[in-house]
Amino acid sequence: MHKSKKQSTHLPLFILVGVVLFILSNFIEELRVSQGTTIAVYVIAISSIILLTGYSGQVSLGHGALMAIGAYAAAVLRLEFNLPIILCFVAAVLAAAIGGLLLGMAAARLSGPYLAGTTLALAIGLPSLANQFPILGGEQGREFKVGPPDFEPEVVAAAEPLTFFGNVLSILDKLQTTLATGAWPGASPMSTYKWWFWIAALAALISMWTVRNILNSAYGRSWRAGRGNEVAAQLAGINTARSKVLAFTISAGIAGLAGALLAMSIGTVSPSAFPLALSFSLLTGAVLAGITTLGGVIIGSVILVAIPEIADVVAHRLGSSESVTTNLPGLIVSGLLILTVLFVPNGPVEQHRARKAKHEAAHSSTKK
Amino acid sequence: MKALQRRTLLAATAVLATVGLAATAIPAQAAEVGVTATQIKLGMTLPLTGTASLGYNKIPGAAKAYFDYLNANGGINGRKINLVVKDDRYVPTEAVSKTNELILKDKVMALLAPLGTANVKAVASSVNPARRGVPVLFVNTGFSGFADTKKYPTTYTVLPSYIMEAKIMGQYIKEKFAGKKIGLLYQDDDFGTDALAGFKTAGVNFAVRVPYASGSQSAAAAAGWITKFKAAEADVVILFGVSSATSAMLGTAAQLGYKPQWMLGSVGGDATTIKLTGVPAGVLRGAIGFSPVPATTDMNDEYVKFFSDIYAKAVPGSAFDLNVLLGMNSAFMAAQALKAAGPNPTRKSLMAAIDSKGATFANSALVPLGYSKTSHVGLTGYWVGEYSVTGDLSPIGGTYVTYTTDSGSGAVVKSTYKRPAMPAKGLPN
Repeated sequence: MHKSKKQSTHLPLFILVGVVLFILSNFIEELRVSQGTTIAVYVIAISSIILLTGYSGQVSLGHGALMAIGAYAAAVLRLEFNLPIILCFVAAVLAAAIGGLLLGMAAARLSGPYLAGTTLALAIGLPSLANQFPILGGEQGREFKVGPPDFEPEVVAAAEPLTFFGNVLSILDKLQTTLATGAWPGASPMSTYKWWFWIAALAALISMWTVRNILNSAYGRSWRAGRGNEVAAQLAGINTARSKVLAFTISAGIAGLAGALLAMSIGTVSPSAFPLALSFSLLTGAVLAGITTLGGVIIGSVILVAIPEIADVVAHRLGSSESVTTNLPGLIVSGLLILTVLFVPNGPVEQHRARKAKHEAAHSSTKK
Repeated sequence: MKALQRRTLLAATAVLATVGLAATAIPAQAAEVGVTATQIKLGMTLPLTGTASLGYNKIPGAAKAYFDYLNANGGINGRKINLVVKDDRYVPTEAVSKTNELILKDKVMALLAPLGTANVKAVASSVNPARRGVPVLFVNTGFSGFADTKKYPTTYTVLPSYIMEAKIMGQYIKEKFAGKKIGLLYQDDDFGTDALAGFKTAGVNFAVRVPYASGSQSAAAAAGWITKFKAAEADVVILFGVSSATSAMLGTAAQLGYKPQWMLGSVGGDATTIKLTGVPAGVLRGAIGFSPVPATTDMNDEYVKFFSDIYAKAVPGSAFDLNVLLGMNSAFMAAQALKAAGPNPTRKSLMAAIDSKGATFANSALVPLGYSKTSHVGLTGYWVGEYSVTGDLSPIGGTYVTYTTDSGSGAVVKSTYKRPAMPAKGLPN
């Protein structure tokens, strides 16, 4: 680390992104808003994997199960005790963190394939626990509603056909009016999806900011040290076992938040919402994002949400049969995964940064 | 700081550009969403890939086979039916996002035959088709709750509920197996709760009841179940579970030489699906089964003959089974509902048509439909049959004996229902 100036927390940047997202949410289609919610959920979940795998070097195939813990905690508290929604989300984080702590204590003794196997077993086994306890609602699950309850959804989209520049201009125009009058001319009417997006996006920003700053703190450094060389880290005075458990706990807590938000966006919790495939696609997203950098997390999330849609468009263009359409998303994701591992093993963001660093190094050496 | 500003500006511009692209042009609105002068768009979500897709993945092909036939013969008042199918992999999250796409992007007029209780519930709770005024026609689940018009005002069920099935089984037991010891295998969730409620209403006393958690069924588990049924000396064993539970049970029982009188619920009673899992067909011989629609091998039945001919042409080489028949039957009913909805169908007129004329819609089922202004209940009964040595379910003694009932405390009665004759050429009139 040659740059030794005080690390900035980038708080203004996060606030700015938040404001931009809030404004945008008022002007884009309902479908995009709902996809935005899913992206926000993936952003949170993938950042928890990046923290665990990329920084502390522990593999987890069971993050779907940790998400389920968070989701069930939030839903049950909401239904049984009618807890305010914000407390439900806090409880989701705490419950999953406790789960992560227990798992982490076991995980500290394991590594590599053994850890992958243990967490895999958790992902398979845990969601079906819901069938054992009536309070969890069995296979059909339970409702999870976050108020405010009844917004009228847009029945018919009211946007006029506009060109690309027309769109940008009209949005700028609306922004100007808004800034001048404080009103929202032409803003889409309030909808449940918008409300969910606000909650999910806010949660994503807060957790991204938190994760970013944890990773840049002494904890983050000790995780990276332990990942690089455990013995060397121990010699440097780091308690690697404790540091690994801590990473697992924090990662699980964040995954729990993602789980509660996922449950919010489908209005229910049920075991089938947390299948093994979820754990795998999160890991895929993390690899696509670049497992060792938080910066790419949005890329990974957008890819996971966009691929099925892109595949749909491609398949229809080609006029292919149903079996092609249904299997194309999986094929594209797998293809991307292989390409990523082959050509940009650390993800596009890390790759870009490395190239820039190399470039700068080359420059400074020629200047000498 | 300057670098930060530049980066922020860049990011903001990029985001704006994305939004500009995202807000695509929207074509002129017709009278109703999903209805143009030339076509009517319907949407369907169900598992096409993954473990749960077995058997169900034939449904879209079946529905499309009928719609293609209909379109080739003039469609509905000149409009062709376009069925958009999306794979939900039997995951509620996927069902929600795919239904979102169907309603908000593909802008379908109505949803047709979405599958799975948990999925339909999640969609109702999140996407909320009712609030958007989107009809949800003929949901592919027997959960009785979906007929609740207060909670699901735009949803129409079609399969007889699990409660009805259990009540009719109870009636049959009283008639044919009085005094025998009865055992029950059921799934420990809403599916099983419905069944227990039905058996209770029917007054069935079980010698032994064995619940299993969904997903826990396996050959090893089945060996455990058999021990319990043997210990209770059950003469008749009812398998009221999903196909995989039926298969595990029958396969293991065959190996252990355990042969009670089997009675299979309709959900787990599709012989094609059971045979696909490697259970020898002979094991099914003599088992009692229940179905609302005629035997899929009954080529004397005009509907079965008509549907299987169309299907064989559209999807050559694929076996005509219960999933196919039910899929085509739902498409057939949807066509009649659209026809009955008037020259320019709307979502409202479509639902009004089912409310007022739905009970008289022609369809292959041998039991009456329960639609009315106050009821969204579809089929209301079953006929009782016996599995042959090849695993085909056919009526006992060659004639269909049908029972009909409701999901409440109503009695089970032998039905005198006369099925409407198939409309000419199988087209709605």
